[in-house]
Amino acid sequence: MKNRIQIKALIGALDLQAEVSFSNEIIVISGENGAGKTTLLRALAGLEVAQGQLMFDGQVWLDSSADFILPTQMRHVGCVWPDAALLPWSTVEKNILLGADQVDDNWLGLLAERLEVTALMQRKPHMLSTGEAQRVALARAIYRKPSVLLLDEPFSAQAPAIRQRLRTVLKAIQAELEIPVIMVSHDREDAEMLAAQHWRMREGRLLTQAVEISVDRKLQA
Amino acid sequence: MIESLFISLQLALVTTVILLFLALPLAYVLAFKTFKGRTVLEVIVALPLVLPPTVLGYFVLLMIAPNTGLGRVWQSVFDSSLAFSFSGMVIASVLYSLPFAVQPMQQSLRAIPDSWLEMARTQSLSLKQTLIQVMLPAARGGVLVAAALSFAHTMGEFGAVLMVGGSIPGETKVASIALFEFVEMQQQSEAWMLALILLGVSFVMLSVVYTLNRQGLNPGIFK
Repeated sequence: MKNRIQIKALIGALDLQAEVSFSNEIIVISGENGAGKTTLLRALAGLEVAQGQLMFDGQVWLDSSADFILPTQMRHVGCVWPDAALLPWSTVEKNILLGADQVDDNWLGLLAERLEVTALMQRKPHMLSTGEAQRVALARAIYRKPSVLLLDEPFSAQAPAIRQRLRTVLKAIQAELEIPVIMVSHDREDAEMLAAQHWRMREGRLLTQAVEISVDRKLQA
Repeated sequence: MIESLFISLQLALVTTVILLFLALPLAYVLAFKTFKGRTVLEVIVALPLVLPPTVLGYFVLLMIAPNTGLGRVWQSVFDSSLAFSFSGMVIASVLYSLPFAVQPMQQSLRAIPDSWLEMARTQSLSLKQTLIQVMLPAARGGVLVAAALSFAHTMGEFGAVLMVGGSIPGETKVASIALFEFVEMQQQSEAWMLALILLGVSFVMLSVVYTLNRQGLNPGIFK
């Protein structure tokens, strides 16, 4: 197992506890509102202070015993949060490229096409629908080819038809980049069609459970 | 009269440019950092709001006098006195207008949504990149207000510049001092004209400030 989460954090009233190892695969987390799903993703991104150990792709991100915390900026994560947080003065294209060291036109074009934002590239965020803004945020998270994708309800604003296409795209991108994708979703179909592992959260505790149905078979179906 | 107006404009421009560079790091620290002595720093920055300008001018004069360290260094480098010079007035003006530059910037930096700053972190932007690509564009309304207020405030300075600069014609006699002297000498038409010009400058600058403030509250500023 390349990745390991073993953290504890007391954030507000939430007592977050998570201990799990996993491969570079798609993991879907579900649970009641307030169970700590978003907080867990935020702790993984380094946006919340946590104690314990975090290791992704063999690289240590957090080791409290050695007093080591890798800053968020150096974790090379790709994140989608409920607030798309697009910069309103920049075009969609510039938003997607934010933080990228160099521009790869081929990769940008391919990604835009797959996430169905090609026609939006020169628009400003106020000209986008909520669903379009969410897809742009997803493109921004993926463009830099991150070492892990942390997605909080990334398809929540999408129509059912496009949501289905995006699942296929996400599955393909995960396979190409060979990275772990940890995705919070209330949609049962996301878990059924995407998840190699399905984790549940209850009152801050992470409960893991293997998904029995083959993802590929489901996607083909 | 034209000469003193020109000196005032020069002083306001130089002071505004210096303040934009000086106030930004101060505003950033006061907006985002928690540290021991923060309150003291805030009080020092805000002090010119309540301090009589002549008091500030007096302390600056003591600080730049030829027998002080700063005065001596200036004298040896530029072969001229810092006291009763345009440069001395710039120092006094920068200190006098500091809160007018820092506070709008500080408020506009504080108003940046947390989600944008967190996004900058997760997109691996360095502090410098975050400042240039996220904070400054987001806080540009505050920066422009800071510039307009600094400029207008410096144009209207009297006590501090009189203490530090004296009233040397063609060198340190600014418009507000010239106005005072016109009144003293009963030159009413000149006084009236100069007062009207200063009133106009202040009116235009405040109009700019209020327009920017209104736009700052409206997300359409970025459309």
